[in-house]
Amino acid sequence: MNGWSQFEALFSREIKRIYRNPFVMVVTVVQPFIWLAFFGSSLANAPKAFILSYFGTTNYIAFLLPGVLSTSMLTVGMFGSMSSIQDKRFGYMKRILITPTSKAVVFLSKVFGATTRGLIQIPVMIAAAIVFGVHFHFSVYWIAWIAGLFLLGLGFSAMFLGLTVSSTDWQTPGVISNFITMPLMFASTALFPKTGFPSWMKAISSVNPVTFSATLGRSIALGSDPSMIYLGYLALFAAIMIGLGTLAASKWLKVE
Amino acid sequence: MSDGNEMEISVRGVTKNYGNVRALDNVQLNVPSGTVFGLLGPNGAGKTTLIKILTALIRPDSGDAIVAGYSVLNEPYEVKRRIGWVAAEVILDDDLTAMENLWMQAKLQNMKEWKDTAMNLLQYFGLADRAKSRVKEFSTGMRKKLEIALALLHRPSVIFMDEPTIGLDPGTRHMLWDLIKGINREYGVTVLLTTHYIEEADALCDQLAIINKGKIVAVGTPAELKSKVKGEVIEVVTSSRADLASLSSIDGVRSVRADGEKITINVDASETTLPSILSKLDIRGLRRIDVLKPSLETVFLEITGSRIDEEPQMDIRRFYASIRRSRQ
Repeated sequence: MNGWSQFEALFSREIKRIYRNPFVMVVTVVQPFIWLAFFGSSLANAPKAFILSYFGTTNYIAFLLPGVLSTSMLTVGMFGSMSSIQDKRFGYMKRILITPTSKAVVFLSKVFGATTRGLIQIPVMIAAAIVFGVHFHFSVYWIAWIAGLFLLGLGFSAMFLGLTVSSTDWQTPGVISNFITMPLMFASTALFPKTGFPSWMKAISSVNPVTFSATLGRSIALGSDPSMIYLGYLALFAAIMIGLGTLAASKWLKVE
Repeated sequence: MSDGNEMEISVRGVTKNYGNVRALDNVQLNVPSGTVFGLLGPNGAGKTTLIKILTALIRPDSGDAIVAGYSVLNEPYEVKRRIGWVAAEVILDDDLTAMENLWMQAKLQNMKEWKDTAMNLLQYFGLADRAKSRVKEFSTGMRKKLEIALALLHRPSVIFMDEPTIGLDPGTRHMLWDLIKGINREYGVTVLLTTHYIEEADALCDQLAIINKGKIVAVGTPAELKSKVKGEVIEVVTSSRADLASLSSIDGVRSVRADGEKITINVDASETTLPSILSKLDIRGLRRIDVLKPSLETVFLEITGSRIDEEPQMDIRRFYASIRRSRQ
């Protein structure tokens, strides 16, 4: 069955929901500035020698930016599952599933909708970094960086939605988000270099998709040679999560 | 499509359990094409569950149903292409405009040419000038109309309406009855609606099935059903003891049944029997007397032993809660 028409409708609905809500738009734009302003300033008066030896660069905002972007893609999944629970609660899921729309298409539209929401932050965040005085070396590699973030967002959105397909409780996405986000954020190189990690955390970090995306983005942002294998890892992660999530949705997606 | 003999819906031995609760018990039902068919029953009778099965939203535990020519078990997508649905609680996307809601429905139904049909429907329902307004600005009556327009957009052969007038004011309710008759006539669409309002079933439906506790207990036109019950019903609520045997012996009393403080007396004609009944009761304990003329209410009472809308206020509260929820 061809589900493209239905995907198009459900995906545009997700997007309309974002830009029709001015509050969401404003916060989406302002949040990255706050991140960089506070987190970026926390090391403003640290000795230059320490920053260079710890981060491998004195430009630690450029170091942080790919990590913060990766972290924000990690949290977008929550919006997808919140939107899906809202549809179940308001009965809209019934309206969708009384038409010849498969549960897999509903799932995929939410995954891509949530990921697109995350992508909006990327240009804003890069602009914010430039405002904070970072000089970037723009190159074609930037496409790979953004593709990596997109894949990371797809993977985590699919994971979140897959975990909440049978839930109708408002609290679930938040609880799962807190449970997943914190460990994956800290057990990655998103915010700190792995040199300071104990060996068990290094082990988690080395298979953590957030690390793949942060490492890839960092080498591109700092103008060094990126290792494209990370893009492959991220594609694999996204494919596995979307595959599992689609299966879970087809089997267990609750109507209400 | 509707040659008068064809069945639009044919339910064959459908049973559905929710845990230990049997929501539907071996339901058999035939709905002729082109009719307005009512499913009348109290809350919790299984009406909504049956609609969910007929719209292929959930699967029955056993049995099957043929809707618009296809089995809900084997070809649910074929069924879903041919049905429309109007929810009890009015389900629309409030953040979208009326036209965008129609657009969603068109895309979900895989329609290519839909704009003209959509505009015609908006015109038919008197919403054309509000096509670009967001649905959150609409009144309940307007929402209901838009939902019916959505249900008609892809030219379904049958529309399911779950409690279409629940919680509406009398004016809007009558407007909606006319509308349902109108779309049935002008679009030739079969309408299966559920209701627990006696007068709605009577005024609106060509045929009725009475459902109680998951079972279809009677089927027929409203007139046929009413002719089945003979006599009238007198309901008495009294706090003092009543001698049931002496009540039964009154001339013209068919049967007497007591349930707590409530005594239900079936009589030939209340006008002649009521004085004799009152003479046998302790007048000080009397709290209420109801005389029910032959109607679908007495049909229901006679078949099931209970009245259909015993707790209407509970239902309205739930309805408004759901409206509030969907408007946030």
